[in-house]
Formats: sequence, C-alpha cells, structure tokens
Amino acid sequence: MKKQLITALLFCAVAGGIMSAAVLAEGKTFVYGTTGYGVQMGDEGLNPHNNYSGWSALRYGVGETLFKYNDNMELEPWLAADYEFVDDTTVKINLREGVTFSSGRAMDGEAVKECLDHLLAVHDRAPGDMKIESIEADEMSITIHTTEPCPAIINYLGDPYGAIIDMQYGTDGVEGDSAGTANVAGTGPYIATNVTETQIDLIKNENYWGGDVKVDNVIVKTFSDASSLAASLQTGYIQGTYGLSYDSYALFDGNPEYTINSCATSRCFFGQFNYDSEIVQDEAVRKAITMGIDREGFCTVLMEGRGIPAKAAFPSSFSYGNEAVTAPDYDPEGAKAILEEAGWIDTDGDGYREKDGQKLAVRWLTYPGRLEQPKLAEYAQATLKDIGIEVDVNNTEDHLSIAESGAYDIYVSSLTTAPTGDPEYFFTTCALENSAKNRSNHKIDAVEELYEKLHQEFDKTRRGEIAVQMQQAMLDESAIFFVSHLNMGIVTKANVTGMAAHPCDYYEITADLDVQ
Amino acid sequence: MGKYIAKRLLQMIPVLIGITFLSFAMMRLAGGDAVTYMYENAGTAVPQEIIDKTKAEYGLDKPFLVQYANWLGGMLTGDMGKSYVSHKDVFEMFVSKLPSTLLLTLSSIILTVLIAVPLGILSAIKQNRWIDYLIRFMSFIGNSMPNFFAALVLMYFLSIKMRLLPVITTDNLALSLVLPALTLTISMASKYTRQIRATVLEELNSDYVAGARARGVRGSVIIWKSVMKSSMLTIITLLALSIGSLLGGTAIVENIFMWDGVGKLAVDAITMRDYPIIQAYVAWMAIIYVAVNLITDIIYHYLDPRVRLGGDGA
Amino acid sequence: MSDIKRITVRRQKIRKNYIKTKLIFLVVLAAVLLAVAVFAKYLCPYDPYAQDLLQAQKPPGPAHILGTDRYGRDMLSRVIMGSTTSIFATLVLVAVVTVTGTIIGIICGWSGGKVDTVLMRISDLFLAFPSLVFALAVAGVLGGGVQNAIIALAAIGWPKFARLARGLTLAQKDSPYLMAARLSGSSTPRLLVKHILPNIAGPILVTAVLDIGTMMMELAGLSFLGLGVKPPMAEWGSMISDGRVMLQTAPWMVLAPGGAIFVTVMIFNLLGDTVRDYMDPKERSGR
Repeated sequence: MKKQLITALLFCAVAGGIMSAAVLAEGKTFVYGTTGYGVQMGDEGLNPHNNYSGWSALRYGVGETLFKYNDNMELEPWLAADYEFVDDTTVKINLREGVTFSSGRAMDGEAVKECLDHLLAVHDRAPGDMKIESIEADEMSITIHTTEPCPAIINYLGDPYGAIIDMQYGTDGVEGDSAGTANVAGTGPYIATNVTETQIDLIKNENYWGGDVKVDNVIVKTFSDASSLAASLQTGYIQGTYGLSYDSYALFDGNPEYTINSCATSRCFFGQFNYDSEIVQDEAVRKAITMGIDREGFCTVLMEGRGIPAKAAFPSSFSYGNEAVTAPDYDPEGAKAILEEAGWIDTDGDGYREKDGQKLAVRWLTYPGRLEQPKLAEYAQATLKDIGIEVDVNNTEDHLSIAESGAYDIYVSSLTTAPTGDPEYFFTTCALENSAKNRSNHKIDAVEELYEKLHQEFDKTRRGEIAVQMQQAMLDESAIFFVSHLNMGIVTKANVTGMAAHPCDYYEITADLDVQ
Repeated sequence: MGKYIAKRLLQMIPVLIGITFLSFAMMRLAGGDAVTYMYENAGTAVPQEIIDKTKAEYGLDKPFLVQYANWLGGMLTGDMGKSYVSHKDVFEMFVSKLPSTLLLTLSSIILTVLIAVPLGILSAIKQNRWIDYLIRFMSFIGNSMPNFFAALVLMYFLSIKMRLLPVITTDNLALSLVLPALTLTISMASKYTRQIRATVLEELNSDYVAGARARGVRGSVIIWKSVMKSSMLTIITLLALSIGSLLGGTAIVENIFMWDGVGKLAVDAITMRDYPIIQAYVAWMAIIYVAVNLITDIIYHYLDPRVRLGGDGA
Repeated sequence: MSDIKRITVRRQKIRKNYIKTKLIFLVVLAAVLLAVAVFAKYLCPYDPYAQDLLQAQKPPGPAHILGTDRYGRDMLSRVIMGSTTSIFATLVLVAVVTVTGTIIGIICGWSGGKVDTVLMRISDLFLAFPSLVFALAVAGVLGGGVQNAIIALAAIGWPKFARLARGLTLAQKDSPYLMAARLSGSSTPRLLVKHILPNIAGPILVTAVLDIGTMMMELAGLSFLGLGVKPPMAEWGSMISDGRVMLQTAPWMVLAPGGAIFVTVMIFNLLGDTVRDYMDPKERSGR
C-alpha cells in the first residue's frame, strides 16, 4: 500500500515535470529567467485585459500596442500609423496595414474596436484612465470619443493593457491547458505555445509584420530567489536575466562572457514627510533630513551602481526630470547649521539634538518588498546620526496599515512615476490632497492649482513645464525628497544580442533578439 | 482500536475549527488585504474606488465573523473558494501542488533516516572515540546552518563549481530533487543523529540492557533487538513532530529551487494576503499534521512494551 | 565478585571525575561567551554601527580582521556586538519554551483524562499551525522587535516540549520504581519533582540545547520578515540573511556570523551533553 502510494506520487510528480517540460524543437533557443513574471506580480498569463498581465504580453513579444515609447519615453506609432485629435474629445487613429494576429485574422478597425471594447468592459484601471465614451471602427482606422478632454489617451493606449489581441480567438487559453492560464493571439514576434504561472514557452511568429524573427524558441521562466537566478546564469541554464539583485552584478561585471545592459527607469525611491506629526512640521527638520541623505553614496555603493541619484520624480531622460528642478545636495554641515539655527542643539551630549526637552528622533516607515528600501533606511540612519537626528526604522510588510494609522514621520516607498511617459500620473497618485499615496497628508495650494492646469493642457512642452513647477513647489516646501532612480538591468550571455533594457520596462523580448 | 481512532478523529474537528479560526482572525488583525497588496506590488497606484469595488467583490468589506462563517460554510461543502489573486479554484491548486511537496518531504525524511539512524547508533556505541567526535562535529555544523544558507552552499559547490546538478527544477525530476531534498536533510539529519545518539546511550545504560549483558547476550544482538526497538519510539516521535515543521520548512527551499509545491504557494499567498489560499494551507497542514500524529500514536501504542504491557516490560 | 565490584566503582569514579572536569571546562567556556555578550560594548575594536562607505565590502585584512559589510562596518565588532542580542534572545526563548512545555507536558502525562485531552488539543492547534503564517500574523498584530519575535516563536514552540515531556512522563508513570514510590505514599508533587522530573530531564535538556541553534536560526528568519531586530542593531541571524546574496562575492559577510553561531551552538550542545551525563542517576561506565 505504502509502496503504491509512493509510486503514485512519483508518477504524479514525473507527469507534472513532463507536462511543464520545454518543447525543445530545432533551431535557436533562448531561455530567459525573470523575477518579474508570476502571480505575485499580478501579471501571470498573457491576457492584457486581466490585471497586469498585459505587461507579460508586451515583455515577452506576444502582444503589441497601438503606440510605443522610444528610449526617451516619447510616443511613436506601433500598430497605429498615425493619429489626430479631431477636437478635444475625439481622436482618430489610423492603423498599420498588413498586420495579422497569430490566429491568422487580419488586424483592422473592427478587430481593434472589439479588443478595446472588451478591455473597457472588464479591466479595472483602463476605463478610469481613458474616459472613453465610444469607439467607432472604420476599415483601417478607429475614432475614439471621450467623455471629457483626455490629452493623455494616446499615452494610455501605449500602456500594456492596451495590447491589441484577437477577441475572436479569445482570452481563455490554449486548448487542453488545464491550468487555465490565459493565452492570447497577438501581433508580436512570438506566439505562446504553453502558458503557466511559472513559465511561458514561445515560438517564432513566421508571419511577423515587422520582419524576420531570429530566434526560434524562447522559454521564459520565473524565479523567486535572486541567488538561484544568478546561479542559473552562471551554469548556463539560462542565457538572459531580468531582475538580478545588485549584489550579484559583481559576478558578471567586467566578465567578457556576459553583457550587462542597463537603463534608468522611472521607478523612483522617495520619502514623504507626515505633516500630521508634530516633529516634522518643523521645516528646519524636514530640510535637514533632506540634506542629510547621501544619494550619491547610496547609489554607487549600496545599490552597486544600479541606481542613479534623483533630484526629481522623473529620470534625466525626461525633459521635466532631474536636471529641470533644484533640490538640495548632500550637505551635512549645512544641515547642522539649519538645525542649530532652529534651536535644535545637543544639550545632553548623547549625540542627538534636543529642543524644549524633546529629542530629535524621527520614525522612518518603509517595507522590505523592494530590497533597496531597508538598505536606504539603514544608511540614512547613519548619515542622519552624524547631524544629530535619531532615526527609528520600521521596516515591515504591514506598512500600509501603519501608514493609515499615521504612526510615522517619514514614509519611504517607490513608484514607477511615469508608466505612460506622462507626468500626470505621478501627481494624481502622490501629490494631491486626496491622492491615494499622498503620505504627507498635506495640501500644497500651488500644486493643486497647477494640477488643474496640467489636467487640461494638450501641449506636451507646456505639460512638461507645469510638471517642473509642481515638483519644485513640493521640493521648496521640503514635503518630499527623491533619492534614486532604479537602473533596470538585463544581463545576458555575451553571445546574446538585441536585448536592451528600456526605460519603461515594457519591452524585453523583441524581434531583434538573437543568439550567436 | 477502532473506537480509539474514531474518538481521535472526532477530536480533530475542534482542532481544525480552532486553527482555521485562529489563522483567520490573526491574518485579519495583521492588517493589509489582498486587493491593496496586489495593486501595491505592481508598483502603480489605482484610485480608491477601484480598490473598494474589488474588495466588495471578494466580500472583504463584510464583518469578520460573516467572512469566517462564509468560508467555513464553503469548506464544509468542499468549496475552498477561489484565489483572490489568480482567481483559480483553491482546492484544485492544492491538489495539483501537494504531490510535489509530499515527494520532497518524503524523500528528505527517508534520506534523514538513512543518514541519522546509522550515524546516531555508531556515534553512541563508539562514544568518545574519534568517529563519535567527527559525527558530532558534523552535526554541529549542520545544526548551525540556516536552511537557505545550506541551500546556497550546496548550489555553489554542486551546481556552479561541479556542474553536477541543475540549480532549479528542470525536466529531470530525479536530478532536480537532489538539491532541495539534501538541503532539508542536512539540518534534520544533524539534529536526529544527536537525538538518536542520546536515546541509544540512554538505552544502552538501562537496566534491561545490563541484564541482557549479564546473561551473556552479544552486544550486536542487544543493539539490534532491544535498543533499536526502543529507539524507534524516539525516532518516530521526532519524525511525527517534524512533519509539521518540515512541511512548513519546505517553503524557503521550494522558493529557492523553484520547486512547485504548496510551500511556495503558501509563501506567495502570505505575502499577497491571499486569504483563501492561506486558509486552505493552514487547514491542509493541520489535517496532515493531525493524521500523522494519530498514526504515530497508534504505532507508539504497538511499539512501546512499557505502555502496552503496563510495567512488566523490563 | 567483590573484586569486580571494586574495579567498577573505581572506574565509575574516574569517569565521574572526567565528566566533572569536562563540565567545568565547558561551563567556563559558556561563561566566557556570556561575558562577551554582557560586555560586548567594551570589547568591540570599532564602533559596530559606524558606517564608512569607502571601506565597504573589504575582505578580511589587518585593519578589519573579519572584513567589513556593505556599509563599511567592521564585521568583528558587529559579531561581538551581535552576541548580546543573539545569545540572550535565544536563551530566553529556549528557556520559556522548555519550561512551559515541560510543565504542561508533565501535567498532561500525569493527570490524563480531560485535562490531558484539552491541553493536548491546544498543543496540536499550535503545533499544526504553520509557523510562517503565525509569525507573520504576530508581526502584524504586535509589530516588530525582539520581544515580539520571542513571543511568536514561544507560542508555537512550547507544544513540542509538551508532547515530549508528556510521552516521557507516560513511560515513567507505570514503571516499577514509580509504582513503588507511589505505594510508599509519596505525595504527587514530590513524585513529580523527585522522580519524574530527573528521569525525563535528560532527553528534554538535550532537545532544548539542540534547539538553541534552531531557535537562533528561526529568530534570524523573523528578522528577515521584519519581525526580528530593528536596524542597525547587530544580530547574527539577520547578518547571515543580509549577507546571503554575497556568498560568492563577499563570503566573509556570511562566514563571520555563521562561525559565531557555530561556536555558540557547539559550546551549548557539548555543555548539554555533559550536564546530562553528570545528572544522569543511571550513569555507569558509559559503555
């Protein structure tokens, strides 16, 4: 009986192993390890209309959007040929000719309308972003009517959820796929043959509109541990990685067998001061803390050069990024002087300053989900100690409920500030009085006024200028401080070409990918 | 015996209800919910209305006791609910992943017994000889190494340096099993070697062994016949005790080696606050645990002459 | 016959002396360890919390015997400083778990019946509760910090000892000598303390001492989840967790705290063994 049970179990496990086995056909194969795919990321499966799965459709070359971002995060037509705002609430988009879905259907206005209608019907974020009232399909164009002026609609169409798929093929997955993880028919260079929560098997799309696809088979495998990801690259089991931890870069940096490709993204680490807490209501304290954080040292040493010091919410590749604003540099002496002037003096000789019997101690709230954040907290603890500020770090998974309760002085988190290449998102999310992530619980009048303007503005240059003014208004109050932008890296074996890190993190596997 | 088993099975019910209620209550008290975490993890923010709407869909806006009652009701009808995150049937998810974890657990238990029993006995009968010292020294090393560290060391030598084994689970199941099983075995075997050594020493010093010796029974016979049998008790108790921690302990190892079992499922669920899966995990672990303990107690009942015969065993 | 007896007695005496010497030696070692833990502050060659990024990740050398960590802090100083938290937290935890577990176990084993059933079901409840879920929940309810980590681990740790003690008590309960003691009219508390406890203390002590290493690891695991020590406090387990990804590039960051845990675990294990040998009423020639 026991033997039978064990045999049965073994059989089950072997069967499971075979089922998930990669289909290793002839031709070039590329195995890609990533920490960015899976249920935890909310992007399992390839159905762009479900949660964040559109990211996977785009990243692994299955789906494509009407517009894409170039390396400067500017929009370019992709499946679209061009577009035109007919009036404030109407935009006409002409589609690219000669594109077919992997299901064989030709992409035309009707197909795109079906896809977007379905997106608006089922997706959680898209309807609120795009404010679409109705869509009309013409032969090779669509016309979108919005309920209110929505200048950012083109940007939102470039969001991964806007990946165009064949709705006749459906979103339920390949036949016989018991896991039920969604497969879709897109227009990209690769077609998925097997989709699970931990792996995607792809084959080359022979009829890709964008030219010849160079690699025949791609296997995307998810990793949940950074050490095994690095080890798998070392053993050659995988030829490319996404999401390698900083500490592992030393293994591959300067080694001719590997190529490191990196790019600053708009993921920004920043801190917000809680204005409900008395101690940081003192502007001198806020300013001193801002000046007491060594961004340069943090980025080069603790992030091992995978971070870029930030002054603004947006990286330098944006016209309204780092260089456009003025923010204080790391200046411990200056910080000390400011505190001194404000009456914070170390009277009892314990190394920390006091004022009116109150010790200069702040509660620093952050969470371990992003590895950089606890490191930043620990580093800032030391540099702030030098200027006489005690930092009590609360690094917990449960940061959200503590943030709600208000038991913190500084909330340090990270956010992709410009997922659609447009500044509005960051301000909507973090800067307004009723923003979901305005952890400073504070209203800055200038920011609120400027936001109204930004929301109505169609001109790109003007939008950028307003974004600069808004960031500056927040920085001038020392309500917020930006520490670092993440340098997203893709490390591959040296014989892999055509794989480039992209500032918006959407495009990884493309038709350019090749293995020599 | 039948009556005894029936009674124990009945006692299982309050334990299961207690555990599930406790975990339900604690996870709620711990704060955070799947919906918020899901959006949080993806790194972008969404308006509060969307979060509230999704919460309402999952019934997360209802009072705590109602939520628990709903869950328990579903559980009794065999419906463990659907994952908040992947929207899949929880029961099916577990059934599909349980064999991997059981395979891993059983392999490491077998490996542990194969290593710990001979080494423990050897160490005891060669007490204070060099072999005893060596075995004990090794067990100290194994004992002071956290699981994840053992995993990395093994990975470094066996995979990266010697290229013998795959780093993560691949199509070759047997080879893939080696690293995770070995990792789990290291700390367990180190612990049990020492426990078995202690037990065997205890037995060797007991009256009945002295008696047998005095009657001229050969040393090896004593070891195999009497000492082994009595030591089995300790070993079985220990193994039963460790089933729980082992099933839970596979989580880290499953995560590192991408072994697709319930441990990994649970860790993911916990970080995501995916209540239905956490609840199912807690319930499954409890059932397995209680079942294993029942079996242990029955074996115990048969094995221990002192318990069964009541006094005249020695 | 009397000759043999005399020789045995002498051998026993020699062995007893040997054990005694060993015991003293190990007690001294453990005392040194505890002294380091108590006076850690004065023993550190550098400030264990002083960061210097220019010195980050330096391998062991004359200036820093055990190298430096990613913040440029001296590893030796951090290992010494970490002994305070690691050793005391672990000892407290093991003590709490062992004492509570043993008391409950003896009560269960001795009284049997309803008390036994109820207490054992409660212990089942905690034993069957996946520790990961429990620890995370405690972290959420009570917040971080060493005390809460100890509470979390103690809550799920005691049943193991309760079951062990119960099993051992059961085995002792019906043994002839206990029957004799019972018949001679000893009171229950006397029986428990005089006869049961010394007889079951050995295996429990061994388990407890072996658990020191495990508990140190578990505390480390909790630091990883944000329930352990708060930064920048030095603690061996969290130092290992922190350095684990650097195993290939900066191995000293893991090996230094790892070595400290190893030495501690070894000393306490050997001490446990020796105490058992010393206390064991049945201790004979050892062979």
